[in-house]
Amino acid sequence: MSPLFTPLKPVAPALRTVLGIACFVLFFLGWGIATYGGFVKPLFLASPGDTLTAGIALFREFGFAEDIAVTVWRVFAGFAMAAALAVPLGILMGAFKPVEAFFEAFVSFARYLPASAFIPLLILWAGVGELQKILVIFIGSVFQLVIMVTVIVSGIRTDLVEAAYTLGAKRDGVVLRVLLPASAPQIFEALRLVLGWAWTYVIVAELVGASRGIGHMIIDAQRFLDTGQMIFGIFIIGVIGLITDLLFRALNARLFPWAKGR
Amino acid sequence: MSKLSIRNVEKIFPGRNSTAPTRALVPTSLEVADNDFITILGPSGCGKSTLLRIVAGLETPSAGEVLLEGKAVSGPGPDRGMVFQSYTLFPWLTVRDNVCFGLRERGLPRAEQLAIADHFLAQVGLKGFENHHPAQLSGGMQQRTALARALANDPKMLLLDEPFGALDHQTRELMQELLLGIWEADRKTVMFVTHDIDEAIFMASRVVVMSARPGRIKCDIPIELPHPRSYKVKTTPEFAAYKERLTEEIRVETIKAVTMER
Repeated sequence: MSPLFTPLKPVAPALRTVLGIACFVLFFLGWGIATYGGFVKPLFLASPGDTLTAGIALFREFGFAEDIAVTVWRVFAGFAMAAALAVPLGILMGAFKPVEAFFEAFVSFARYLPASAFIPLLILWAGVGELQKILVIFIGSVFQLVIMVTVIVSGIRTDLVEAAYTLGAKRDGVVLRVLLPASAPQIFEALRLVLGWAWTYVIVAELVGASRGIGHMIIDAQRFLDTGQMIFGIFIIGVIGLITDLLFRALNARLFPWAKGR
Repeated sequence: MSKLSIRNVEKIFPGRNSTAPTRALVPTSLEVADNDFITILGPSGCGKSTLLRIVAGLETPSAGEVLLEGKAVSGPGPDRGMVFQSYTLFPWLTVRDNVCFGLRERGLPRAEQLAIADHFLAQVGLKGFENHHPAQLSGGMQQRTALARALANDPKMLLLDEPFGALDHQTRELMQELLLGIWEADRKTVMFVTHDIDEAIFMASRVVVMSARPGRIKCDIPIELPHPRSYKVKTTPEFAAYKERLTEEIRVETIKAVTMER
């Protein structure tokens, strides 16, 4: 067996970068062959070149930058609301078992309610404005996040908590100065994951009753059978996702250097 | 009056899933005098850690009581400093802030915290490592920090649960000398749990041997080796005589424990 494929063996950083880029190269290569080679009709799949042209036109003529800004704002607003509720609640549920017993069954139930199914109801309640879009993201993220934070806090090493008690910490000290800092890096990681899911909800929310946003642009492009614009819109979401992911990772490494490699 | 009185303390762990309850400790009594260094020696599963955890207040006895300076122990507190077998330094705090933890919980001014922390860090030989994080330290250094952290609270008693159990043999012997040196200087009352016979004799003024399931005290042997003791005491005939006797006592118990497991 090749030494490269020994289970769990780390790969050299340079090779890691090369392999990561190679996947993108192969992706574009396959896409190019399928479209330029005439294997797929342009009506169904635009070529990389056409997609790029459509993208430039979107920015130049259709104010796509504003669409992006609107969508990013919706994602972060809904996500921030979800985090503001879910993180404290999850910490309380993880730390205090009666609180967990009270909320756990309900949250587990609510977690399975698809956020997109709430769209008609939310339109009824909140109209077709910003609030409705933000609430879709909020509903989609908040319950997942509560469960994840609860599990993280519940899993903090009990010997750290015991050590704190023998050093004279009381209940509040244990929660604020042991459970909270101990779980912070993992909570941060959970936020990063859930933010990715929030992006999928925003597009769904924008497919219905929106006048701006990336999702709205994609629906608009569908009317004109402009696959180049559609693909470019989807592509931009991926790029924004990749950037936020990298930012989150960098921030995590900066905020919690002590948790490195754990 | 004794420093610590353990009076008919019993511990029964309830059975799970219709298994029979486990009797970890038959009613046990033990008096510890002020300035004593007691080691509790026994095979694994003899309830020695359970007894120590009851004294620490981390476990509640099924019957009986523990009195520290005549006052009943009802939970963990800073008057009984503890060092665990596992590494329990708070990974997000520096070495110095780990030692300050208990002082901070008590609300001491920062300047005072730092003065105390630096004093005890110097005592355990960690001058120059104040700003390191636990992950940057070796196992021996982590346990030295944990010792300094427990001592910084100026506890009435020091409880140690196989604190050097995870260290290599050489480091372990140096740690024993360090702890013994600190004890010879301050004469703080110590209760030290171990399964290592040499370790038990070398540091102790009394060795309490515990028997296997259910745990009970089998014998209580005063160690009359002169202080200050150097590592050289381990090769004297007196030391060998203690070792021979304790080896016999422990061997019988270990055989019992092993046959009971079948």
